[in-house]
Amino acid sequence: MAGLSRTAREPAPAAPAATGAAAAARRVRPLRRLAAAVARRALMLVLLLALVFAAVELLPGDAASASSERGDSAADVEARRHLLGLDRPVWERFADWMTALPTGDLGTGARGQKVTDLLADPLPNTLLLGGTAFLLTVLASLALGCWAACRPGRLADRIVSHTATAAFAVPEFVVSVGLLLVLALWSGLLPAVTLTGPDGAPDSWTMLVMPVLALVIPQTGWNTRIVRGALADQARTPHVEAAHLDGLPARRIVLRHALPGAVPAIATGIATSTGMLLGGAVVVETLFNYPGIGSVLASAVSGRDTPLIAGVVACAGAAISLVLLAADLLRDGILGDHP
Amino acid sequence: MDINRRQVLWAGGAMGAAALLAACSSGDGGTTDGKAGGDGAPKNGGTLRIGALGRAGAITRDPHGTQANESDYLVIALVFDTLAMPGAKTNTVPRLAASWEPSADLRTWRFKLAEGAAFHDGTPVTAEDVVWSLRRLRATPSGAARLPGVKAPESITADGAGTVVIVSDYANADFPLLTRLATFVMKKDTPDNALDKAPGTGPFMLDWYRGGNARLVRNDKWYGGTVRLDAIEVTMFETPQAMANALLAGQIDVASNAGAVAARTAATRKDIQVLRRPDDMAMPIVMRTAAGSPFADPRVREAMRLVVDRDAMVKQVLSGYGTVANDIMGTGDPAYAKDVPQRERDLEKARKLLAEANFDLSRTYSLVTTEDVSGLAESATLFANQAREAGIKVEVVKQESGAFWDKTWKTGDLYTTYWGTNDSVVFFASKTMVSEAGQNEAGWNDPAFDAAYRKATATADEKERAAALKELQQIEHERSGYLLWGMADGIDLAVAKVRGLPTLPGYGRVQLEHAWLA
Repeated sequence: MAGLSRTAREPAPAAPAATGAAAAARRVRPLRRLAAAVARRALMLVLLLALVFAAVELLPGDAASASSERGDSAADVEARRHLLGLDRPVWERFADWMTALPTGDLGTGARGQKVTDLLADPLPNTLLLGGTAFLLTVLASLALGCWAACRPGRLADRIVSHTATAAFAVPEFVVSVGLLLVLALWSGLLPAVTLTGPDGAPDSWTMLVMPVLALVIPQTGWNTRIVRGALADQARTPHVEAAHLDGLPARRIVLRHALPGAVPAIATGIATSTGMLLGGAVVVETLFNYPGIGSVLASAVSGRDTPLIAGVVACAGAAISLVLLAADLLRDGILGDHP
Repeated sequence: MDINRRQVLWAGGAMGAAALLAACSSGDGGTTDGKAGGDGAPKNGGTLRIGALGRAGAITRDPHGTQANESDYLVIALVFDTLAMPGAKTNTVPRLAASWEPSADLRTWRFKLAEGAAFHDGTPVTAEDVVWSLRRLRATPSGAARLPGVKAPESITADGAGTVVIVSDYANADFPLLTRLATFVMKKDTPDNALDKAPGTGPFMLDWYRGGNARLVRNDKWYGGTVRLDAIEVTMFETPQAMANALLAGQIDVASNAGAVAARTAATRKDIQVLRRPDDMAMPIVMRTAAGSPFADPRVREAMRLVVDRDAMVKQVLSGYGTVANDIMGTGDPAYAKDVPQRERDLEKARKLLAEANFDLSRTYSLVTTEDVSGLAESATLFANQAREAGIKVEVVKQESGAFWDKTWKTGDLYTTYWGTNDSVVFFASKTMVSEAGQNEAGWNDPAFDAAYRKATATADEKERAAALKELQQIEHERSGYLLWGMADGIDLAVAKVRGLPTLPGYGRVQLEHAWLA
């Protein structure tokens, strides 16, 4: 997951400033730009997956030894290695896995289960958890950031800013333990862990509350700071200052004049949160026994199960890439019109 | 890995949480009677919600596969039956096989199947089904280790509908011991893609299974006796902490194999039973006995065994949830030599032995350990401190699990190991101590021990066999490569109303057929 967040945190290359090109070129440009952005993200994902294969190779032991039993002789382990195809060079296995990927085939795990089967329930669960957390993070940080920006320099603004910094500084697991104590073990308001029903999804929506909050609280801290900062930058632009001098109400200035210009910066900031949200999900899922890909990933790494690790990374990476791509396009769209 | 550090911190947090919680609940005055005894006549009915450890990426449905998840093994063991199973008075008791009988040379074993045993779909179990299942087990990559000395398919045959004959390559008085843990019986010719719905013969039938969690319902026609529970719901937990929290919050009734940390946090709650299954886990220190090792001299090994403070180890490493051991593996065996005098700490004698053996005290010795099981790394650290008091410099080296099994296990001079099946002295002798053993962890080669082992396994006469077993254990106590300081209890947590839970160590933890709800 560290690899993922690193990619996610990396600032997207700045869009080339429009230079008054010909009208014809202007019509083709958005399409070409989209294709380039998609290609860039896809390439990044492929590189990441190659890195995953190489990294697992560098770890001591392999899937054959990890899934063997203690009494197995060297010959037994070798037979298992052959069964799993681990006696072939790593680049060959990577090439095979990559060529099957476009057909939706993620290979077979070290214990003979299809990777797509192993991810069929956990992936939607994690997307539900991450997606809900993402949505709430966006709403909460926009609301808090705008609310503070309407009261620049006043007490409310300072409280929001400091609380946001503090919230971001607290790791997910600390938030989780706090929530668990207060909301489940002391008060009994919410279930302490997630139990899973016959449909593979959490038994009740109440089981999502704490995991979502544990992700939302730190990320809202981070993004509130970004929203507030972007609005502060906008407040110094001539058109916002003019609106201010015209005596328009603060709320109207923030929402109608400052916010639109701040969207690119906010979108980029929030997009980079996706990586941190999914990274945090691994921790939060473990604490709340939430049936997501975090648990799958942790066991896949200890089992040296390359196809399974790559499957998780591909899915998580694709989700992150999509959000980053959307942020790129949003920013390009806005900045493209107003260079 | 990042998550491990966090999990450790989390464990601390959970402990603090439970302490606070305990403080609160005891302040309430306690409305429950707190009685965990099994008094009263067993009642029928109810659903038992049990948590077991497991990880989503390691899910295995194949009864003959390598089950890394306790949750998967639990489900499989409730749905399918093995030929024999672990017992209390003798370490092997009948299950699907009602009885067994060896030939005079202890090589050919005839297992008679239980009367009335049938699959969940109503079909009677035949010897053909058993033969097919055993052959399938033998053909898995781990088959040779699970049925050692048995060649498939020719050594496993049916004799009529009710008898299975297995021939061992060598005389083995303890052969039925091998049929306890993995010999799950499925219907003949069950295809690999139908394993997840294959009917078993066990006390419970599978209602549904998904992502490691399952619901099982009672098999009313089970041949093995009355099953009281209507159903069992199994929930898989990635960590013991989350499992303990679920229990404390009332989401599950039993936390299977929850461990000492969870037990300590739950011990103050009067409405929670802490059930201890003794002799569950051995975490011995292995000293390499082969030439070239600093521990090749038996006097050095004895000195090391005199250096350890066993009571302190049990108290600190196991939080008191365990017992002191006497350097003999297989402490749960009914034939365990309780009369061998307990070895105590004796630094004086240890120093003398080390001097006699010219042990190099200026060197620092690495003790390699892992964090594979809880308490293992802690045991190494505490032992290193105790050794320092005798002037032996021991430095603990923590290895990542994969690196340990790849590079240190069976070749290192000094390392910690662990074993989860501890109810057979012969099991350890055959697997880890006889000179040709595949997992001879200490590289031990002791002709007298080998002779005692061969006598014990090749003798049908009970008295002679007992004498040989006694001698075997005496030699092991004196000079093997193991320093076994203590045994960890297996610990289950349960809410007050649950009765009849498993009492046996190791895989015995899955014996839920006699559980009931008060």
